[in-house]
Amino acid sequence: MLQILAPDGHLTAEPPATVDSRGLYRAMVLARAYDRRGTALQRQGRLATYASFEGQEAAQIGAAAALRRDDWLVASYRDSAAMWHHGYPLELLIAGRTGHERGGAPPESVNVLPPSITVGGHMLHAVGLAWAERYRHVDRVALTMFGDGATSEGDFHEAMNFAGVYRVGCVFLCQNNGWAISLPTERQTAVAALADKAIGYGMPGVRVDGNDVLAVYQATEAAVLRARGGDGPTLIEAVTYRVGPHTTADDPGRYRTEEQTEAWRQRDPIDRLRRYLHAGGHWTPDWQDDLDREAAALVDAAVAAAEALPAFTAGEIFDATFAELPPVLAEQRGWATAAGGVGEPDGGG
Amino acid sequence: MVTRTLAQAINHALGLALSDRDDVVLLGEDIGAAGGVFRLTDGLLDRFGPGRVIDTPVAESGIVGVGYGMAVAGLRPVLELQFMGFSYPAFDQVISHVSRIRNRSRHRFTAPLVIRMPYGGGIGAAEHHSESTEALYAHVPGLKVVVPSRPGDAAGLLRSAIEDPDPVVFLEPIRLYRAVQEELPDRPPLVPLGAAAIERPGTDVTLIAWGAMMTETRAAAAELAADGVSAEVLDVRSLVPLDVAAIAGSVTKTGRAVVVHEAPRTGGFGAEIVAQIQQRCLYSLLAPVARVTGWDTVFPLKRAEQHYLPGTARIVAAARRTLAG
Amino acid sequence: MASEFRLPDIGEGLTGAEIVRWHIAPGEPVAADQPLVEIETDKSIVDIPSPYAGTLLYRGAAAGETLPVGAVLAVIGAAGETWPPAGPAERAGTDRAAPIVGTLREQAQDLTRPAPAPEPLPAPEPLPRPGPGSGLAAGPAAGPASGSAPGSVAGSAAGPVAARPRALPLVRKLAASLGVDLREVAGTGPHATVTRADVTAAAAAEPPAAAPAEPAGADDERRPLSRLRRTIAANLTRAWAEIPMVTAFDEVPVGRLLAARAALQRRHGVRVPIDALLIAAVLPVLRAYPEFNASLDGDTLVLHRRYDIGIAVDTPDGLLVAVLADAGRHGLLALAAEVRRLGPAARARSLPPAELTGQTFTISNVGAIGGGHGTPLVPLGTTGILAAGRATPKPVVDGSTVRVAPVLPLSLSYDHRVIDGALGRRFLAMLAEQLAEPVLFLA
Repeated sequence: MLQILAPDGHLTAEPPATVDSRGLYRAMVLARAYDRRGTALQRQGRLATYASFEGQEAAQIGAAAALRRDDWLVASYRDSAAMWHHGYPLELLIAGRTGHERGGAPPESVNVLPPSITVGGHMLHAVGLAWAERYRHVDRVALTMFGDGATSEGDFHEAMNFAGVYRVGCVFLCQNNGWAISLPTERQTAVAALADKAIGYGMPGVRVDGNDVLAVYQATEAAVLRARGGDGPTLIEAVTYRVGPHTTADDPGRYRTEEQTEAWRQRDPIDRLRRYLHAGGHWTPDWQDDLDREAAALVDAAVAAAEALPAFTAGEIFDATFAELPPVLAEQRGWATAAGGVGEPDGGG
Repeated sequence: MVTRTLAQAINHALGLALSDRDDVVLLGEDIGAAGGVFRLTDGLLDRFGPGRVIDTPVAESGIVGVGYGMAVAGLRPVLELQFMGFSYPAFDQVISHVSRIRNRSRHRFTAPLVIRMPYGGGIGAAEHHSESTEALYAHVPGLKVVVPSRPGDAAGLLRSAIEDPDPVVFLEPIRLYRAVQEELPDRPPLVPLGAAAIERPGTDVTLIAWGAMMTETRAAAAELAADGVSAEVLDVRSLVPLDVAAIAGSVTKTGRAVVVHEAPRTGGFGAEIVAQIQQRCLYSLLAPVARVTGWDTVFPLKRAEQHYLPGTARIVAAARRTLAG
Repeated sequence: MASEFRLPDIGEGLTGAEIVRWHIAPGEPVAADQPLVEIETDKSIVDIPSPYAGTLLYRGAAAGETLPVGAVLAVIGAAGETWPPAGPAERAGTDRAAPIVGTLREQAQDLTRPAPAPEPLPAPEPLPRPGPGSGLAAGPAAGPASGSAPGSVAGSAAGPVAARPRALPLVRKLAASLGVDLREVAGTGPHATVTRADVTAAAAAEPPAAAPAEPAGADDERRPLSRLRRTIAANLTRAWAEIPMVTAFDEVPVGRLLAARAALQRRHGVRVPIDALLIAAVLPVLRAYPEFNASLDGDTLVLHRRYDIGIAVDTPDGLLVAVLADAGRHGLLALAAEVRRLGPAARARSLPPAELTGQTFTISNVGAIGGGHGTPLVPLGTTGILAAGRATPKPVVDGSTVRVAPVLPLSLSYDHRVIDGALGRRFLAMLAEQLAEPVLFLA
């Protein structure tokens, strides 16, 4: 398993030359601040449901940081840290969680699809995106993020197979966080290492310490270069841990013990990087304070913006069904928006 | 002008699309080297190359999921699923993503793709090869569904579907692939989505059908005419968007309607058409609206198929019942 | 018993094959599954095994010839059997297995539309012409199938005007059983739909078939009621039966009103009918007392926001009510123009049904004929009707003097179920005030 930074913060291998460690640290601190807030907002009834990524910041941000700005990111509902880092506005991520479709519309320049709520269906999309870019002679790649549970879905197999057969320029990044809701990884699959599944598809599989942001960055950078160079896909398994529940509707105490979670807290990705930076003189308590303040301000502003979005009217729920409303739908829209909201066909028209 | 069968017209239209637009790519099983199990993509690999006519692994969900990604990136994929009966593994990609990405992203991301599939029975094929579940696709918001019954319409609707900014399911009646032909110009005119066609004007009863059943419906109209009954034949052509104005206009004029489809009766798309007629034409109806449909059974295999598919006689009988008393 | 073996589609889309080499000659025995003949398809050369054991009686084609799929390839039977048999050819069991993907019919039906227009259809039964806006304008004579441009669905609602009257199926059945022709019934439902009551009224209005009970005078004239008269009679009978109506009376000095009318006529050079002034005067009163511009629907009083004023018009055939639609949006001169149009049109019987029904309030000005007060009947579907008589000079008390002034008699009948006497009085009082001082409603 590839590792550069041990849990206690000392280097076990040469760090990647292109990495910006302080930048990664800042990004992870901001992400965690948002994550904590997400759970709190849900408990206040201001978010419908929230899927915490605590513990997985390095796996997400280390990977996203290795992408070029215009590369595609196709990720799941838990991958907010990666999506935010790659340009998806935070207030839109939050808006989606408050239950507003505007959350699914990032700006034109942001090549990030809305978070996939289905498990396992979206990796195919990354394959198609990367394929289309190559067809157009553009060297953008696509990175898709998914969890250990998703590797059991049939569409994972189909996506890996397509990508392998056609040597598509995409990167499959599996965050093995130990749990698919209540099913532990060892009961999700018969292999010891999810990275070994790559053999079945004719692509390299790389297993990395998912809580080591430098290792994740290095592995992803290598895979992205392979893809961009036309050498095909790679499967990366980032071994990490889901410290929180599956979502705010889940109670992990029903299926796992606190000991396991506590052991993983000792391997926390942010603590690890801070120790490393501190040892090198690149982290101070004042800087931490600045970061915490910045994070709070950013998250506050994003929450305020998300909550200020006016809800759709009865008519607006129709407006993005097709490019233009066909007659039957336009008629329905008329009924839905008629005065009193009780419009229906008047019978015998 | 060239006479082309339904299959040839589709093949020709695909060639025109590939020539006219460089963002059109075809994906499907056996569409390249083999030219398609019904030869619908014959010759296209040679003309346009393996980068644009792509033989895929056996993976229906993969075809649609990958095609969807290509469409989101800005290409115009035309995906072939080998039979409607094998499209179901891809249904999740269709209903969970293809049909709703525009809504999910408020137009930021869209999926302008076409999914072609042979459908319908009457060819004595093995199990699963005679499906007619267009109602399932028509029921999905955000998806358009069209069914040609004539070569000219097939070419024109396919070109329009490829140009359409929304995802379109293009259903090809297998039984008609080589059983109907039409003389067509080299560039068949585009047929707009959402437009039905009055194939045969009439005054006494409206016969409404689509796909392969148009053959029996045309024959029924001819038989009725020999008896002095003037039947208006309406080819729906576009299930979604549905041309309600044409249907309501015709039935308001004639006062009688027979809706014909080979799909199973309950929840079939005919039920939607009958409901629209009831809503808009009740005060002009002279008789209950009739449905002539397949039964609510699994499509029988070849040796009992003839008990299932509605024939001309059933359509004529239904029309006569609307005219009686 | 000979069995036919027809060339199967072994290529899943095969249309025919060339015979390369026969392994068995006619008259020779062949075992089941033994190679019978070598054929060449698009893709390869293939041996076809015999499905039957027996003697080869017949070969469908010689080496080098091509046979279409489905044609008889070989016939296998008993030794010494002849084939084809002398009698009508009997089809043996020919359950050739269909290929997985099925068998396509190869002979194509030609759907090419002929260049000239198709033969004209037999002329349909004469029906009332579709009105303007009919979607049938494109017409059946167009050559290529005229796919309708996808139009708005609402277009179907306004759509082609029905060539036949609108009626629920149940009503049609009733009409058929009563011998009533729907085309001759004025529909009182929405969009001129013929209702069940319309049909029963029309049936009741038929002249009785039975002979009169006793012979009348030998030179009595028997005048059958006209269709219009029957309809009027039926409607009034129902109104009389269903609406408890009362009438309130008043008289109004209208000197100023007539002077204003004369001034307007001089200034604008057009006739300003009294009806127009009555409508203009009554509109503010209807706004103040909406119960008079209403319909009683079961236990619900429906207050109409539009003012469709019915104007009684005396015609040679009887009293017709022409409806001036949406009077509230017209100024006085526009009202005058409408009244000038409706009167003659009603008399000429050229108004469409839509302009003869559906009023929300009625004004009957029979003043031109002469007469004072009356007891007009409240029309069905409304709650009030105003009748005006002829303005005649009368003594009018003005302060402590008496002078002569033209006085207009007013009679207001209303549905007493929803309008009390006090309300009726108030309505009349406001109307009278306006007619006496026209500046109140002309300003």
